[in-house]
Amino acid sequence: MKKYPWLFIRNVVFASLLLMAGALWAADWVKYEALPTGSSVKIDGTSTIHDWTVEGKLIRGSMEFEEGVDIDPSQKTIHGLKGGKLNAQVEVSILVRSLKSGKSSMDSVMQQAMKQKEYPTIEYRVKEMVLKEPHTPGTPFVFDTKGELTVAGVARTNLMQVAIERVDKDKLKTTGSTTVKMTDFGIQPPAPKIALGAIKTGDDVKITFEWLTALPAKPADASQK
Amino acid sequence: MNKEELSDLNRREFLKGGSFATLMALLGAVELKAQDQPKAAGGATEYKTTGNPVSCAVIGCGAWGREILKNLARLPNAPVVAICDTYEAYLRRAAASAPKAEKYTDYRKVLENKEVQAVLVATPSHLHREIVIAALKAGKHVYCEAPLATTIEDARAIAHAAQAALKQNFQTGLQARSDPQRHFLLSFVRTGAMGRNVMARAQSHKKQSWRRASPTAEREQALNWRLSNATSGGLISEIGLHQIDAAAWFLNARPRSVTGFGGVLHWTDGRDVPDTVQAVFEFPGGVNLTYDCTLGNSFDADYEMYYGTDAALMIRENKAWMFKEVDSPLLGWEVYARKDSFYKETGIALVANATKLTAQGSKPTADAAAEDPPLHYALEAFIANSDAIGTGVEDFAASFNVNDTKALRAYLAGLAKNFSPFAGYKEGLAATVTAIKANEAILTKQKVAFKDEWFTL
Repeated sequence: MKKYPWLFIRNVVFASLLLMAGALWAADWVKYEALPTGSSVKIDGTSTIHDWTVEGKLIRGSMEFEEGVDIDPSQKTIHGLKGGKLNAQVEVSILVRSLKSGKSSMDSVMQQAMKQKEYPTIEYRVKEMVLKEPHTPGTPFVFDTKGELTVAGVARTNLMQVAIERVDKDKLKTTGSTTVKMTDFGIQPPAPKIALGAIKTGDDVKITFEWLTALPAKPADASQK
Repeated sequence: MNKEELSDLNRREFLKGGSFATLMALLGAVELKAQDQPKAAGGATEYKTTGNPVSCAVIGCGAWGREILKNLARLPNAPVVAICDTYEAYLRRAAASAPKAEKYTDYRKVLENKEVQAVLVATPSHLHREIVIAALKAGKHVYCEAPLATTIEDARAIAHAAQAALKQNFQTGLQARSDPQRHFLLSFVRTGAMGRNVMARAQSHKKQSWRRASPTAEREQALNWRLSNATSGGLISEIGLHQIDAAAWFLNARPRSVTGFGGVLHWTDGRDVPDTVQAVFEFPGGVNLTYDCTLGNSFDADYEMYYGTDAALMIRENKAWMFKEVDSPLLGWEVYARKDSFYKETGIALVANATKLTAQGSKPTADAAAEDPPLHYALEAFIANSDAIGTGVEDFAASFNVNDTKALRAYLAGLAKNFSPFAGYKEGLAATVTAIKANEAILTKQKVAFKDEWFTL
């Protein structure tokens, strides 16, 4: 250390710069976290006998916006866009097992088709968010998003329109829907054998979600149960 | 031999010089075709359609405990890993239905067993409280036989513990509440097909001492807990409770009061629990339920009657009939339904899915009603719901803070909409309190008015 004092000083400076950058990054990005209640995800599909739906209420994950991004409460404008793009990090994860059809036998068929034991979650990661213009003041902000959807361990690029609405001072409601093919994710549309033959499900499924996120509660709020 | 060579073979050549190898290759070709067939038919796959297994322990292996074990053995997802009874002979007999289960004489050791996820308590009613509360505390799902207890205090303590155990399933052994045939009849009654309800009646008659034989004097007392008022809720609690609960469920109300009568009329063997009881339950709207139960005469056994202005309904075990009034409107389907004769009356058989059976050309027979006993459906529901709650809590914990009780409660309440029908702690408490107070009315030959605070938690 004595031999290379300049190296030590350089390291210290470098480290403190890193620390500062980290602190700044942490302070500037605003993170909305998933709320345990009020969200829902629905998957609608078809089959040779009737349409089917599974629904889940647990959507975990978070939505982080870059410094300066601010959705004004009256939803007139959104600040902090860069070239119409919103710099954000959005990660969503849904447990396959939490998706329910109302019939436990169908749930187990779905879980087996989606290889739930190996891949217990459906993941979505947003790569790009472009504001759809023109925006009508007072209505939710609509974005064209590009992201990566991972189902049964297979990742695919997915384009989806999502709407972000400010529902409270520190709460956001994000809604959207997308249609995907089971076979794109290596899932064979289930054709379970039943007493009188086989039901065959259609390849296309529509995923619809409504997701509530909020700024982390202040410690005083957290103690309330 | 390769494929090309095989396809070059014509039938004559094959027959002429058919070798064993050719034959095998041909068989191979046939086999491939067979494998293709299901794909052409839609790629049908066999899926496992039962839920995750829930490991069970049965505490109390008397006659009813063994009945529970027999029914559990028929479920694909209810492995019995432990059986417990303080009486070794019962334990040995119970092992016939649960050969793989570990035997215990101390229930606390059962609760320490981490493998046990669900506990089914079929001990004498007055011994439920301690076991059920300890089991809930140990994090087990609990199926508690009905009545929950023999005192209001014990019943309320159990209900409170069940209510507090947010992460576990609690079911009361009111098995009729899980029975599909009963649900079919319930909708029949509630839709007004019988007109306005005017009264209800139920009975349970048998000629039987209710006393169990035992090898020692000490055992005799423990075994015959039903025969002493100190430990028993009497006939109305141990037998009548199921029928009275069914009536309250069908009439969609809780009784307001009960008047009782009873005495030891035939089995004068030193018991103080009446062998013959009668009670009248007042329901809102002037509808009364009269109930009688005796161990002195077996005529007409067990049944329940509901009398409406258009028709009467008779439910006997898993069968039911409707007796129409001459001036009642024609429903239509009853013209085609099976009829059975009773005394001078003609009963129209009520069978779940009877109209579908007719459409398919197969007439329902006298045995066409649900084939499985109500206990089977109750246990099936218990296992499925325990699994749903168990995995639901796991899923929530994997996504959010599991200590956020309010959010967890809301999540589980959402899941509960898909549960198989069952009697929970509220139904269990209501039925138990009703029976205990009815027994009090019988012993004092008085009228007891029900107080709301006994039922609310």
